[in-house]
Amino acid sequence: MSMTNTTGRKTSRLDRQFDLIRRREEAGQLTNPRGYRFARKFLSNRLAAIGLLIFTIIVLVSVLAPLLTPYDPRAIDLRNILKPPTWAHWFGTDKVGRDLLTRVLYGGQISILVGLGSALASAVVGVLIGCYTGYVGGWRDALAMRVSEIFMSFPQIILVLLLVAILGQSLSNLIIIFILTGWGGIYRLARARMLSLREEEYVQALRSFGLSTPIICYKHILPNALGPIMVNITLSTAAFILAEAGLSFLGLGVPLDIPTWGNILNVAQDLRILENNWWVWLPVGIVISLFVLSVNFIGDGLRDATDPTQQG
Amino acid sequence: MLTYVIRRILILIPMALIISFLVYLGLELTPGDAVSHMISPEMMASISAERLDALRVSLGLEQPFIVRYWIWLQGMLQGNFGYSTAGGVAIHAILADRLPATLELSAVALVFSTIFGCVLGVISALKRGSTTDNVLTVTGMLGVSIPEFFFGLVAILIFALKLQWLPVGGRLLPGYDSYWDHLPHVIMPALVLSIMMTAGVMRYARSSMLDALSKEYIKTARSKGLPEWRVNLLHGFRVALTPVIVLIGFRLPVLIGGSVIIEQVFQWPGVGSEFISAVRSQDYPLVMMIALLSVMAVLTASLLVDILTALIDPRVRLDK
Repeated sequence: MSMTNTTGRKTSRLDRQFDLIRRREEAGQLTNPRGYRFARKFLSNRLAAIGLLIFTIIVLVSVLAPLLTPYDPRAIDLRNILKPPTWAHWFGTDKVGRDLLTRVLYGGQISILVGLGSALASAVVGVLIGCYTGYVGGWRDALAMRVSEIFMSFPQIILVLLLVAILGQSLSNLIIIFILTGWGGIYRLARARMLSLREEEYVQALRSFGLSTPIICYKHILPNALGPIMVNITLSTAAFILAEAGLSFLGLGVPLDIPTWGNILNVAQDLRILENNWWVWLPVGIVISLFVLSVNFIGDGLRDATDPTQQG
Repeated sequence: MLTYVIRRILILIPMALIISFLVYLGLELTPGDAVSHMISPEMMASISAERLDALRVSLGLEQPFIVRYWIWLQGMLQGNFGYSTAGGVAIHAILADRLPATLELSAVALVFSTIFGCVLGVISALKRGSTTDNVLTVTGMLGVSIPEFFFGLVAILIFALKLQWLPVGGRLLPGYDSYWDHLPHVIMPALVLSIMMTAGVMRYARSSMLDALSKEYIKTARSKGLPEWRVNLLHGFRVALTPVIVLIGFRLPVLIGGSVIIEQVFQWPGVGSEFISAVRSQDYPLVMMIALLSVMAVLTASLLVDILTALIDPRVRLDK
């Protein structure tokens, strides 16, 4: 008796909820329920929300650098060499008296541009190739697969340095090199998703309607593969920022006259600076770590929000 | 099993050939011709132009590209890697000098990270959702987010410059050459190198262990009354190990990549720091040769991973 009672109560409550949803739908208030649920899920992940906050702050202060700091990142001031942090220079000054906070902010612009830009561009290349060849299969697929295998059998940094040696050092070369070495991962992901999605019935239906191949694969299948691709873009942004920092630290990344996070750290190869002038390298290292950490948190949150099976 | 191994090797050979071909193409396109890569500069200075031309003909340099590639490949297989343009030293001599240091560093880092990563990952999986698990997960995220060279700099500052427990860098002081003299030098770079990899292994071991623990046979093992550690280690961990081994194999490129920068930070006299100075001085023969060598190392590692997984998990052998 109690069971029928509870089920009865439950159904009536569900009925009421359903009516509510239907009313909202008719009123046009439920425009994008999927996106809404996604955003709520993402933000309810505490680490992802913290990540997004840190990410936004660092991006904002970097972009707004000219408004936030009175100094020029390249202005040399030989009367203030290697000064520890003061109220005038929050992060102190470097070997030639440049304000380090200013350099960190302006450096952020380039480092984030290189990281995010290369990740987005290599995703576009990888997705364009992966979706198409994965969908049509045959020799195009086999060819693309072999080419990506060749790229991926090089350890990434070895290939990057090899290309730096051949192409020479510049900001645009570095981005090109990152795209060349980075497209393979996203290509494979897009291709793998495509192989399973192309067997779905709606794809057969689209094909029988006579839609062209590019429209089927880019407009109708691609959106279903977007979740893991977004996650991969975030994670490769983190990887590219670390790579830029590493290369510039070695003096082989962005040319030294452009301030980037890696280029600021470059001077820490000098043991005297390492030991006596911590403010030159420690804050910028922490900023890089924080930024990459926030990107990784966002990536994790995105994965949990887009793919519930990966939740651990 | 043998047919499986042979098939894997057969897949590998065309790949190695294509990449060696690309490297040769790169060598041909970069400045300097094959004769200058094959003869040490001291000899080059004392040879007349006619003799050089005669030498080019005798080496087959006027022949078509494919034939030249074939001659070059044969030389490679016999260990004739050509000469570095910077110092005029034979590349095989440079590699013989530098390779042991890199292998030593990588091996120690590999052992460290595998052990730490597996242990922490399994602990994290067994205590799923607890504070320990959360702390380990966030620490792992930190481990993959902090640039390795920054870790290295902080470690040098604390342990070498301030506390003076360990040397700043290098591999050996002159006059000391027993293995135990290496130890203080190798600890810091190896630990720093293994941090990023430990985090990766830990994450993977955790999810793979969770996956294994949710299987039916774990319930069976428990219901048979086996002690908990036996269930976890012999039934759970053994199965969870396969993907972890695969990961370690695929992490080898990361390890090689990491060691390039770490070797530079700690002035470790390995292939990585040689590679960087070759890139700086645009010593193309040396750059290409080290790149080729690293690709071969990666391909060999993936072969070993395939064989190991087949040994651990018989299902893999029967596949395809």
